[in-house]
Amino acid sequence: MFRDLLRLVPFIRKYKGRLIGGITLFFIARLFEAAVPLCLMVGINRLERGEADLLLPVLGIVGAVAGRFVIVSWARIAVRRAGFLVQFDLRDAFYKHLQYMGPNFFRQYAIGDLMTRAVADIQLIRRLVGNGTTMIVIFCFATIVGFSCMTLLSPTLTLFVLPPLPILFFYTWRSSLKLGLASRKVQEKLSSLGAQVQENLSGIRTIQAMALEDEEVRRFDDHNQAYTDAFYSHARIHSIMHSVMPTLAAASAVAILGYGGHKVLQGTLSIGAFTAFFAYVTMVVQPFRVAGMIISMLQRAAVASRRLFAVFDYEPEIPDQGIPWVPETIRGSIFLNDLTFTYRGSNQPAIANINLTIQRGEMVAFMGRIGSGKTTLLKQIVRLVDTPKDAVFIDDFDVCDYSLNQLRTQIAYVPQDPFLFGEPLRTNISYDQPRRKIDQVWQAAEAANFAQSIDEMAFKMETIVGERGVTLSGGQKQRATLARGLIRHSPVLILDDCFSSVDTETEEQILSHLAAVRSNKTTLLVSHRVSTARHADRIVVLDDGQVEEVGTHDELLKHEGIYAEFERIQREGSDEDRSLQSQIGLVSR
Amino acid sequence: MSEAAEPRRNYELFDAELSGAVLNTRLLLRLLKWMRPYWKTLATSLIAVCATSLLAIALPIIISVVVIDHVLHPQSTVVAPSFGMVWLTEWIASNTGWSLLISACALYIAAQLIWAFTSHLHRMTLTQTVINGLRDLRHDLFKHLETRPFTFYDNVAVGRVMTRVTNDVESLYELLRGLGTLVGELMPFAFALVVMLTLNIEMSLILMLYIPILVAVTLVFRRYTRRLFRLVRQSVSALNQNLQENLSGLQVVQLSTREDYNLRRYHRINGNNLLFESRSMRLETLYSSFNDSMASVATGVILWYAGGQVIQEEISLGGMVLFTRFIDMLFHPIVVLGEQINILFRAMASGERIFQALDWDEAIHEPEVAVKLPARLKGSVEFRNVIFSYGDSPVIKDVSFSIEPGEKLAIVGTTGSGKSTLIRLLSRFYDISDQSIFVDGIDVNRIHTHDLRSRIGVVLQDFHMFSGTIYSNIWLGKPNVDEEAVVKAAKTANAHDFIMALPDGYHTKLAERGQNLSQGQRQLLAFARILTTDPEILVLDEATANIDTDTELLIQDALKTLTRGRTSIIIAHRLQTIQDSDRVLVLDDGEVAEIGTHDELLAKHGIFYTLHSLQFQPVDHDELQQRHQR
Repeated sequence: MFRDLLRLVPFIRKYKGRLIGGITLFFIARLFEAAVPLCLMVGINRLERGEADLLLPVLGIVGAVAGRFVIVSWARIAVRRAGFLVQFDLRDAFYKHLQYMGPNFFRQYAIGDLMTRAVADIQLIRRLVGNGTTMIVIFCFATIVGFSCMTLLSPTLTLFVLPPLPILFFYTWRSSLKLGLASRKVQEKLSSLGAQVQENLSGIRTIQAMALEDEEVRRFDDHNQAYTDAFYSHARIHSIMHSVMPTLAAASAVAILGYGGHKVLQGTLSIGAFTAFFAYVTMVVQPFRVAGMIISMLQRAAVASRRLFAVFDYEPEIPDQGIPWVPETIRGSIFLNDLTFTYRGSNQPAIANINLTIQRGEMVAFMGRIGSGKTTLLKQIVRLVDTPKDAVFIDDFDVCDYSLNQLRTQIAYVPQDPFLFGEPLRTNISYDQPRRKIDQVWQAAEAANFAQSIDEMAFKMETIVGERGVTLSGGQKQRATLARGLIRHSPVLILDDCFSSVDTETEEQILSHLAAVRSNKTTLLVSHRVSTARHADRIVVLDDGQVEEVGTHDELLKHEGIYAEFERIQREGSDEDRSLQSQIGLVSR
Repeated sequence: MSEAAEPRRNYELFDAELSGAVLNTRLLLRLLKWMRPYWKTLATSLIAVCATSLLAIALPIIISVVVIDHVLHPQSTVVAPSFGMVWLTEWIASNTGWSLLISACALYIAAQLIWAFTSHLHRMTLTQTVINGLRDLRHDLFKHLETRPFTFYDNVAVGRVMTRVTNDVESLYELLRGLGTLVGELMPFAFALVVMLTLNIEMSLILMLYIPILVAVTLVFRRYTRRLFRLVRQSVSALNQNLQENLSGLQVVQLSTREDYNLRRYHRINGNNLLFESRSMRLETLYSSFNDSMASVATGVILWYAGGQVIQEEISLGGMVLFTRFIDMLFHPIVVLGEQINILFRAMASGERIFQALDWDEAIHEPEVAVKLPARLKGSVEFRNVIFSYGDSPVIKDVSFSIEPGEKLAIVGTTGSGKSTLIRLLSRFYDISDQSIFVDGIDVNRIHTHDLRSRIGVVLQDFHMFSGTIYSNIWLGKPNVDEEAVVKAAKTANAHDFIMALPDGYHTKLAERGQNLSQGQRQLLAFARILTTDPEILVLDEATANIDTDTELLIQDALKTLTRGRTSIIIAHRLQTIQDSDRVLVLDDGEVAEIGTHDELLAKHGIFYTLHSLQFQPVDHDELQQRHQR
């Protein structure tokens, strides 16, 4: 546990001046606080003796209170702010670290999980620094001051007051721990309820179409009940704590009543001291209660810290070691030299022994069945995976020698699944450089055959899209992300099956436009459609991670291999329809 | 219902932020309706809170009046009222033979233990009432939303609807628990006030002078913090949104080399959050320290004033001590009230939003007397002069056609010709006039939507894959479908083989929206899902997506099995899909342009013929070459 907490030291050390200052102030404040019951005692004793001069004790109380107010506020603010500052630094560091993580990392950590770490775990650490420190200080000083004052008044009575306190401490510790776990459970159940509702509503049309409303309500009820149960058990622990803790503290009060009262009757204790004891007991009961909370807080913060540093310790998978002598601009020839790549955790290479030379200005299409390695191959070029050394060369330099920044600035890669941020279309399209001129953005949209759709939207380029914005159709999303790639006019453009939801005619329009404007730039694309692939200068057919066929549309048709088979199936539909096919053939010719 | 035009709804109203800045008693009364089934627990809670408050008052009375005044300092001539505590102590002493001091201790212990029990009882019964009531409310709300028609979901954002069920109900928890806490605080406050007034009116009045000061400070403090808290909340959610989105789209971020830019942006939001959090923390610390101090000052004031009174024997020593012990009970409720007031206002707004959703009565009209469908439909479908519009301009203009039982009809047409709308009308996802659409000769408006939809299997174009396993996506919780039926359906739909090839077979978990399957595989699952219900009429709105060649073959093959023995309507985007159909309907701009068999239509050289030539045009390589050279 301590090892986990020690890792936080570098983050906390920055604010040690503030923390030490705060702690010192707390100590001073405690002295003022201890003066109040003391003054009260003096006052009560004077009254008992029948003296009417109470000015001194009253002034004493007012002064002590004012002094305490100023100092405690100051100290609390100083320490709590340290907590917020640590939280601020941790968030920044966490965000920064995540930015450089690769696919293996995200296979291990789900986004929801990372969000919990970033929100709940960092918050636990902030509380430890900001409130935990305050509590530790209260604990130490209140105990010391409280006990010294009590001992001064009556050592024997102090002994009687003591026994319930360790029990109180232990009880609070265990219960706080349980409470912490229960509260996390409540959060989990609430978020799974939320997830269920969200999912249900996203699929509401499917549900209604299949008349599944009743089943869905039943499923919802399960989540609803689970949440209610979790909530209830949390409330129970909480409520029991709030009944038991004062009762344990009351045991000390009973000791004062019984034994202290006895001493008053004997004449060995003044009534003033008797009442002051109640105040001091409150003063020391508080820290013991708090001590239990601190321990549980430390434990939870230790877990939180371990969870955070597990992420911090994860090294970026893709090393970024640019070598200074690579040329600043990429021209666009690509050479694959016996490229073999195996995913982590797999015992079979996804692609093997690939040799391929692509000239600057070529348009090359990659085809193949699902899982044949098309995407894996293309990802090597922008190093979305950890590309092996001496396997992929751009303009005769190993891709590993380029800085990631250079590689990804000059090679545009449009991924398979279209992701849009909850921002205006304008910044979504011009994502790499948010301050591009609006004309350029429209041009890119035009090139992606998306400008007309945007023009029909009420806010045009300023339309907010993404999760919290206007819902676009699959085809629109793809064209938006395509525009994001096209706007960069990069020397190399990689289109990874990004026409899948776009209809054939639109696709043809986009591609013929691309072919015209990118005649001296390299374009690589993945497709399932022969109608797409035939636009390319060359077609590479992958099968089971290996290059099976390379050539032009005509060459491959003559070769009568996989490509020819694809072409035949896509032209004819399934085998049994030959009779109908012949008719179509007749008519369309 | 035929021509009773649905009033045009203002959906922006649903999305608008409602301001519930006033205390709305009507809303609270309406909320009580959900608590009614639990009135017994609520009553228990009220009784328990009375007992708890009385005991909370009795405990300090035992210390000050019984022990100090009667046992330790009996020489005093004034005696503070003990509200029966002295009598109880003496009763214990006379029955047990213990000394008065010991008896007082025993009484104290007993009172403390009972307090522990009743206060727990009060909290738990209150919680029970609230959480059960709100669970029911949430159920009703969800059920209500679940049955809103397509028109509703076409117009409002899902996120907004979702917040109703989660966050808004959550705020009501806070509201009701807050009210409960207030009762728990105000009752001892009232009792303490009564005791103080019987003890010494002057001193009580002096102490009560404090209350307006505290109230004023609290109000000022809350005024400042309300705005600040809102800023804190907004900055926190901006932080989380930013992080979440950055993680979801990280690949794009990395590919666009936006890491530094995004980090700077996050840093800025993080800084904002720090600023607001620190400000509100500072205010809060000052306020709570001030409250502590006020309590201490009050102690001083009591001592000063009461001191004189004790000397003049106007009040007993114990009475004075009792006063100091009541300070907290007087001040605490005000602090709590201050804390609750912001929550209260926020929760009022949430309550209004919830009731707005519950009152949203947009629905598909159900027949007053629904026609009972026979055990199995024959499967004939007729569209008779169907007219439909979403807004002002008609989407479907006078469409008539009929389908024989077991016939396969394909519908083709360009984007926006109204194909999807047409089939959505058949399943009554939108309301249409009476005598428009008939299934087995029965007007669909006379059939309950639930009955109708369970007989018509629809695969929507944007069918949804739920998270969960493959199995649960085919099964979908239908009570009369067992494991065998699921596997059988998957086999018929040609999905079994690819499912078995997955690492966990049928128990493979699907990613969000089934992203870990290909579009084609998802389509096969959607087929299997429909097959489990064995519908008499099958409606398929084909997805436009580009499907890999292998899966495409499986889909074509599955379609053949699927349509066997049922009436089927297929909206096709690829003409390969429809080669098997008996007749083809060409929809153009909401009207039937052509209808007939494949060959008839081709011979006609109309729209269908053009569509056909477009998809099967031969490649013109020379032209391509030329384009490249340019």
